[in-house]
Amino acid sequence: MKLVVVSAGLSVPSSTRLLADRLAAATARHTPVDVQVVEVRELAVEIAHHLTNGFPGRALSAALDAVTGADGLIVVTPVFTASYSGLFKSFFDLIDPAALTGKPVLIAATGGTARHSLVLEHALRPLFAYLRAVVVPTAVYAASEDWGAPGLAERIDRAAAELAALMTGLTRSDAAIGSNAVTGREAGAGSAPDTADALRVVPFEEQLARLGAA
Amino acid sequence: MQFGIFSVGDVTPDPTTGRTPTERERIKAMVAIALKAEEIGLDVFATGEHHNPPFVPSSPTTMLGYIAARTERLILSTSTTLITTNDPVKIAEDFAMLQHLADGRVDLMMGRGNTGPVYPWFGQDIRQGVNLAIENYALLHRLWREDVVNWEGKFRTPLQGFTATPRPLDGVPPFVWHGSIRSPEIAEQAAYYGDGFFHNNIFWPADHTKRMVELYRTRYAHYGHGTPEQAIVGLGGQVFMRKNSQDAVREFRPYFDNAPVYGHGPSLEDFTDQTPLTVGSPQQVIEKTLSFREYAGDYQRQLFLMDHAGLPLKTVLEQLDLLGEEVVPVLRKEFAAGRPADVPEAPTHASLLAAQEVSVA
Repeated sequence: MKLVVVSAGLSVPSSTRLLADRLAAATARHTPVDVQVVEVRELAVEIAHHLTNGFPGRALSAALDAVTGADGLIVVTPVFTASYSGLFKSFFDLIDPAALTGKPVLIAATGGTARHSLVLEHALRPLFAYLRAVVVPTAVYAASEDWGAPGLAERIDRAAAELAALMTGLTRSDAAIGSNAVTGREAGAGSAPDTADALRVVPFEEQLARLGAA
Repeated sequence: MQFGIFSVGDVTPDPTTGRTPTERERIKAMVAIALKAEEIGLDVFATGEHHNPPFVPSSPTTMLGYIAARTERLILSTSTTLITTNDPVKIAEDFAMLQHLADGRVDLMMGRGNTGPVYPWFGQDIRQGVNLAIENYALLHRLWREDVVNWEGKFRTPLQGFTATPRPLDGVPPFVWHGSIRSPEIAEQAAYYGDGFFHNNIFWPADHTKRMVELYRTRYAHYGHGTPEQAIVGLGGQVFMRKNSQDAVREFRPYFDNAPVYGHGPSLEDFTDQTPLTVGSPQQVIEKTLSFREYAGDYQRQLFLMDHAGLPLKTVLEQLDLLGEEVVPVLRKEFAAGRPADVPEAPTHASLLAAQEVSVA
C-alpha cells in the first residue's frame, strides 16, 4: 500500500517533518507501506504559479498525483496565526475536490505552544471533512515542549494504528464516479485503465437524460 | 488543413508605453486584423465573446457581419460563443442570418465561459455550466434542423410550434466546434454529435491537450461517425516572431510579463518550455507547430492567438505578414505530407452542402 506524507514545514530541519517521519514510521510498524514524502516547501513557487496560471508545473503535478493515488495520507502543518499555514492550504486548494473521497487521513500539526492544539479540530478536521476524506479519530499535535515530555510517542502510535486499520480495512471507493464511467482508452480494451491518467466521461445519453430535455 | 487566428478582444495597456487603446480603437483593430488575415491567405478569423471589461467583443455576429461584407474568402467563426448564457434561440437566429449574409462562410465554436458573474448577469448559475451547455446545444441543434420545434427543458421557457428564422442557408446548419480546456463532458458532447472539438492548447502543457483530444477521438469513433483518426480536431497556438529569435524574446518579454492570464507568474522561458507558446524565429514557430501533430494526430484547424496583451496594431500586422509569408505556406506543405487520404478536411458550407445532396439523392 502507498502511504503519502505531506509535510508543510518551512525550515530545514523542521519539527513538522520530524513529526511527519515519526508518524510514517509508526504506521509502517502496523502495516506494510511504501512511504513517499511530499515536502510542500519545495513546491512553494510552483503552487503560486498554479494558482495564477491554472496548470501545475512538473514537480507539483507529480506531488498532486501522488496524493490523489495514495491509499492513505499523513498531513502535517505548522500552526501559523491560529490555523494551518497558508502554503499547506494552498496545496490542498489545488487538489481536485473529489480526489480524496473516502481516503484515510491522519492529521497532525506542530506549534510553539500547546494552546493551539485545537487547530487540528477546528481547522484541519473540517477541511478534510469537506473533501470527504475519512479522518482518523486521533489527531496529533506536537508543541515545542512535547518533544521533551512523555506522551507524544503514545499519541503517535495510537493515531498510526488507527490509520493503518483504516488503510487495511477500507479501500478507496471509485463508486462515487459511477460504474458506467468510461475512459479515453475504450472500455474493455483489456488492461485496466490508468485511473491517474485517464479522463472519465459519463456517456452522453445519460448526461442528456438527467436533464429530462425533450 | 485550415489556418487562422483567434482574438480574445482584450483592451490591455501597452506595457512599453503605458497607453491603453480606446474601445473604438480596439474594435477597429480587430477588424483590421481580420482583413489582414484574408489578405495574407489565412482561412479563418474567430472572435471571442465577453461581457465584462477589459474585453470588447460582446456582440460577435455584429462584428463578423461587418467583416463578412469586406472579405471574400475568410471563414468567420467564434472562440467561443457562450452556449451557457446566450439563449440558444438567439444563437440559432443570429448565426443563420450571418450565414446568409456571408454566403455560408460561417462556423462557430461553443464554449461555457469561465467568468462567474456573467452567469447571474444573464440569469444563470455557473454551477449548472455543463448542464446548460448540454441542454442549450441540444435545443440549438434541433432549431437548425427542424422547421417547427416543440420543446421543453430545465433552463429555458418551453417552445410550442416555434420556427427559428431565417432557416440555415441551403438547409445546412453552420458547422459547430465545441471548445473545452478541461471538461471531458464537452469532448463527449462533441463526439456524440460528430461535431468538431477545439482545444485552446495555449495555456496548458501538451500532455493535457493530448488526453482531451484522445478522449474525443475515441468517443467520436464510439458514436459511429468514423475512425478516431477522422474526428475533427482544432488546436490553438500562440506565437511571437522576429527574423532573429533573440529580437523576438527581447521585444515580447514586457508583453508576456504583464499579460492577462499568465503575467506576473512564470518566466517566459518556463512557459515556452511547458506550453505551446513560441517566441522566436519563424523557423522555431514552424517546428513547434508541427510538433502538435505528434500528440493530437492529423488535425483540421490551427488557430493562432496574435493580438493580445497590449501589442500595438502595427506590430500585430507585422506578425501576420510573417505568419502569412514564412510560416503558413510551410505548415500547409508539411502537414499535408504524410497525412492519410482518409483524414478529412474541416467541414465547410460547400462540403456540408455536397454531403447533404449526396444523402438526399
